[in-house]
Formats: sequence, structure tokens, C-alpha cells
Amino acid sequence: MHIKGVGMTNFDYSQKYWWQLAYEAAIEALKDAKMNISDIDAVVLTSMSSAAGGEHQTHKTSLLSGLFKVNIPIIETPAVCGGGGVAFWTALHLQGFNNILVLAGERLVDNKSEVVTDEILSAAERVIEQPEGMLFPVQNALIWQMYSKKYGGSMEDLSLIAFKNHQNAALNPHAYFYNRPIDLEKVKNSPEVASPLRLMDCSLSVNGGAAVILSKDETDIEVIGSGFATDYIVTFEREDMTHFNATKMAAKMAYEQAGISPKDINVAEIHDAFTSVELISYEDLGFAEEGKGGELIRSGKINLKGEMPINPSGGLKAKGHPISATGLAQIYEIVKQLRGECGERQVPNAKLGLTHNIGGAGGSVTVHIFKKK
Amino acid sequence: MVFQCSKCKRKWQQPIGICPYCLIELDRIKSEKMETVVSSKVSISSLPHMKVPYFANIIKDEQGNLFAYKSTEKIDKIELKSNPESVAIFRIKYDIIEGLENIFKLLEVSLNENLKVLVIPTLISTNYTYFKENTSPELLESVLNFLLEKKISVKVGAQSFNEIPIEGLAQKSGLLDVCLKKGITPFDLSKAVFVKKEDLEISEEVLSADLVINLSMLKAEKVASTDNIFYVLKKENYSGLKYLQSEKEISEKLLKTLSNVITIGEADTVQRSNSTTTYLGLIFGGRNFLNVDAIFNKVIMARKLPEIIKDINVDSIAISGRSIMEVERDIEM
Repeated sequence: MHIKGVGMTNFDYSQKYWWQLAYEAAIEALKDAKMNISDIDAVVLTSMSSAAGGEHQTHKTSLLSGLFKVNIPIIETPAVCGGGGVAFWTALHLQGFNNILVLAGERLVDNKSEVVTDEILSAAERVIEQPEGMLFPVQNALIWQMYSKKYGGSMEDLSLIAFKNHQNAALNPHAYFYNRPIDLEKVKNSPEVASPLRLMDCSLSVNGGAAVILSKDETDIEVIGSGFATDYIVTFEREDMTHFNATKMAAKMAYEQAGISPKDINVAEIHDAFTSVELISYEDLGFAEEGKGGELIRSGKINLKGEMPINPSGGLKAKGHPISATGLAQIYEIVKQLRGECGERQVPNAKLGLTHNIGGAGGSVTVHIFKKK
Repeated sequence: MVFQCSKCKRKWQQPIGICPYCLIELDRIKSEKMETVVSSKVSISSLPHMKVPYFANIIKDEQGNLFAYKSTEKIDKIELKSNPESVAIFRIKYDIIEGLENIFKLLEVSLNENLKVLVIPTLISTNYTYFKENTSPELLESVLNFLLEKKISVKVGAQSFNEIPIEGLAQKSGLLDVCLKKGITPFDLSKAVFVKKEDLEISEEVLSADLVINLSMLKAEKVASTDNIFYVLKKENYSGLKYLQSEKEISEKLLKTLSNVITIGEADTVQRSNSTTTYLGLIFGGRNFLNVDAIFNKVIMARKLPEIIKDINVDSIAISGRSIMEVERDIEM
């Protein structure tokens, strides 16, 4: 399958309805594909929608039918933060459709932080983990501690990851931190949230929408690899808490399908919900050996001017993380990079790009590989 | 507590019952010793954990099983100290039996074969079980399983103080089915003999039991444990005393008279002050039903305390199991 069009909104605190954000992204994708809605024969949607809750809609697919004035199959694939990737994977595996619109819209940040956090917490284990204080930052802090115990992780390395992603976001007009670079000291001195993770190690919850049109028609961007794996919702039930096994499995599938190895990738968008997740993912995706993720960030190879830039968009950390829309926004960035349309943050001569999207704390992971023809 | 398949050795934290690979029943594996593996000091407040800082720990048992555990200070190991006079608090993670085992252990209640136990469930409404008015069939069944496994002689009794016959309440609540399934015919306390103890008229069944288990369904801004113990009294006696004295005085007299009562406060899913329900995931226990009600209301950060427990100094009540801060949550949010 090929990518025919992509679209995304700015990532910010817009109070447009979730469906308006999804719709805006869809219209941009249709224009990009030089199509209209009558050319689409199926839609795959993903969205959590609203923490305020009043207009929360469970039958979102029917709402979309009304917006697009179509009666085609519309399915929803909820996989929380990994929703975009899972929706895309689902669309790739749907049989008998020529053009599939994959879209997401999220207006989850519409209430006090505690309420929004509580809504996001429904993406993790509610009875065994959360009552014992394991919220997302805590879960990832504990995973990082387990990693550090085994490999000797350094907070300096995590600071470099946050700094890199903020530098990149400052060049991305869609990013929340566009034109607002931050210095390394600010990262290092940010307040501790769940030891040892600091505020600046956490991604930024925002609102936004993103859309991708998958097509059987040949275009300049081909999807050459796709992998999807799940893992246990209770983090500490997993065999190894220091890595995300689902990432390793999804990556293996995608690389094998594409017939390439990690070193062939020119640019990647990694799910940096926390800086520690980005570092561990370097290893899970095969960009660094086990325990050597820190060396990779210190080498400068993954900076914007490096050999293989990671998160040129600014990532979830600084572009922002509108939950379900994240996975599709990653694809948007890679498609734009492969097309050479990224302006100041353009990775030169990128031919192969990778996206890596995680739902929960490693519970649903997709990896996709894209090739510029 | 973990559940393990004896054949393939896979383990689960959820009580799924049957191994999906081997299709055989899972064994319950208890943990004896727990040590902290890693710990994170949490400094951000959230709806389920409003007071910070706290510590989120990953703990490991002697068999290598990992668990999450919240604490108010940095800990190296988990030590649950028993205290018979305390209000015991335990977190239920799907497994009620584990909660019951720990509550009885924390309160140092010895259960042996020769014991005669009377269970008094909360049975006050004809609403379906999900309204969380009555004792849940799940809790009653777990209590009966727990006692019958120890070959203890168990009776279940209740009475109605309103116009709805107790038989009707028992049927609609699903509690009658549970009793019959376990081979127990529940009885109407109002039809039993009442014995005068000063100005109280208490059921003889209650006085003659070695242990009375007061099963309360805890509710926000209510004294559900205390309310349920009133059903050991003759209806007319209760009404008269309530008119002449107060429920507070009745409860204090009952507390002095009955030394054989253990309250088990159900709080897995509980009613908020507006009667809607929310998940809490706890079980409480104690010899003093007023204290159980007071501590429960403290844990859920009740805004308005019922008169009966208003003057209780909760700080003077000994707590065993989990501390108040570890489990405290504003359930109105």
C-alpha cells in the first residue's frame, strides 16, 4: 500500500471538538491526495475524545458518517496512545478497499489536570497498579530505575533527549513548542515528578488531529514494513521490565517485511512519551545495543544534523502528545521528511523512515517503515 | 497473591480461574515475604493520590513475583503488624478471599472447627446488587467459603425493620441463592428469641454465637457498620430506644454488651454521598463497628460526618494493614 495524502492540525490547547480536529486533518489529507471524500471507500478512526465528558461520544463512527455524508464502512480502533499506529495497521490489513482514510482527533485536555490525568489513566491497569500509586510517570520512573539498575542509565542522557526534541520542535510549525527552544539547564533543573523523572522528561498532553490516506494506487511513498505486538497491561508481570518486548517484536516484523535492517533507516519518529522510553526504544528498535542507548544520544548521531535523526518533529515531548492522534502525526512527519517538505528541520536525502507508536506503558506497539520511491 | 497453572507454570495477577493453555484450574499462590526492588518518590498529585509525596514501590516475594505497593515512606520490606483492637484495612485486587484472610489475621481472630459463627449481612433494600445497598453476593459467598473451608458451623441471619419481608429482600439481593448454594438456610432474626440485657433486647442467636460477623456495605457519609448491628435488636426495642435515647447511645451500649462481634466492611465498590457508585478496592475490619465507620469515612475524605461518629478522634484509632494515607481517596471527585 502507498500513502496518498497526509494532514494534521497544530498541536496545542485548541478547544475545538475532537471531531473538528479530526475533520480538519482529513480535509488537509484529501487535498494533499488530490481527492475528495467520494474517493474513499473505508475509514478507520481512533480517539479517546474528552475529559470534560459532556459531549463524549461513543458512537463516533456514526458521527463521522454524518460529517462526511457517506455510508461506507467506518471502524474505530481504540488503543489509547498507540491508537494512531493501530488504526494505520488495521487499515493496512483491511481487504478489498482501494482508498482508506485513517484519522484521529483528540480534545482530551479540556479540564483540570487531575481530571485529564485520570482520563488518561484509563489507558493503564486500574485495579492492581494504579491504586498502588503507579500512574504513567511513576510506571516509567520505575521501569527506568530497573533499567538503570541493570545497565547504569544516566539522567544526563535523558536530559540530552529532552533537549534534542525541544530543539527540533522549535523548527516545526505544528509543534506546541514551535519557535520556543529551551536550554539544557532548564531540562536538568525541572522539578521532579516521580523520582528520578523530572517534569521535562515527560511528554506534553495537547489536543490535535491527524489523518493519513492509504491507497492501492502507486504514489511516491510506499509502506514497506508493518509490525504490531501487544504486551501485558500489568507492567511488572512482564518477563523483562527493562525493555518493551512488544517494540522488539513489532520492529522485527516490520524489518523482516521490509527486508532491511535498523542501520538502513534514515529518519525515525519514536514514541517518546517519556525521555526514558525514547532511550530504551533506541535499543528495542535495534538502533543501539542493549544497555547502549545512552551512548547513542551522546554520540550526536540522532540529532537533526546527525546520521539518523530521531524525532525531527520534536516528538511527543515537544511537538505534543494528543493521545490517539500521535501515531498518525508521526506518519505525517515521516511522509513529509521523505518528500523533502520539512523546511528548516529537513533531514537531507531521507529515503527510508520509521515510525514507532506505543499504547499504554508498552501494551500495544506498532512499527511502520516507509520508503521514498 | 498470584494464580498459577500447575501444568504450564504461567502466572496471573487476575483471578481468571482457568488456564487458557491447559484449560485446568489455577492454584492460588500466597506470598510470605515481600522486599522492595525499586522505589519512586512521587511528587505530583492526582485524583486517586491527592496527597504527596508518596512512594510507589515494586516489591518482590520469595518466589520472585513482583507487585506494586504504595507507601508513605521509603520501605525495604513489607511488614503487616496485627493488632486485635485496630481497624484493619486491606486492598482488594479482585481477590476477596485474600482480603478476608488478611483482615482476620490482622485482627488476630482465631478460627477453629468448633466455632459457632453467625453472619449478619446487610439486607436493607430490594435494589439490585449493583446499587451497593446490600452486602454483595460475592462477599457473602467468599465469607461462607472462607469459613466452611475451615469446617466452621455457620448460620446466616437477618431481619427487616421496614414493611418489606426479609425473605423478599434476601431473594432480590441474590443473598438467598448464595446461602442455599452453600447448604445454609438463612433465618429471620425477628422470629428468634430475644434476651434482655439492661434496656437492650438482643437476639439469643447473637448472644450464643462464638463469633458474630457483621457484614456491612460501607457508604459515604453513613455509618453502615453501626446501622447493620442494630438488626441484632428486637425491632420494637430499637424503635423505642431510638425515640427515647439516640442511635449513638444504642450503638455505645451494643459495643459494651457484645464482645463477640467482628465487622467486615465491604468497600470494593461503594456508594458516594449521592448514591452513585465508584470503585474503591478496599476491605475494612474491626471489633469496634463505630471505629470501622469512622475510619472508612476518613479514608474516603467524607465532607459531612454522621452525628454518631462526629466526635470520634480518628487519630486515636489504631490502624493495621494499610495506612490511611496509602488508601485515602476523595470518592466524590
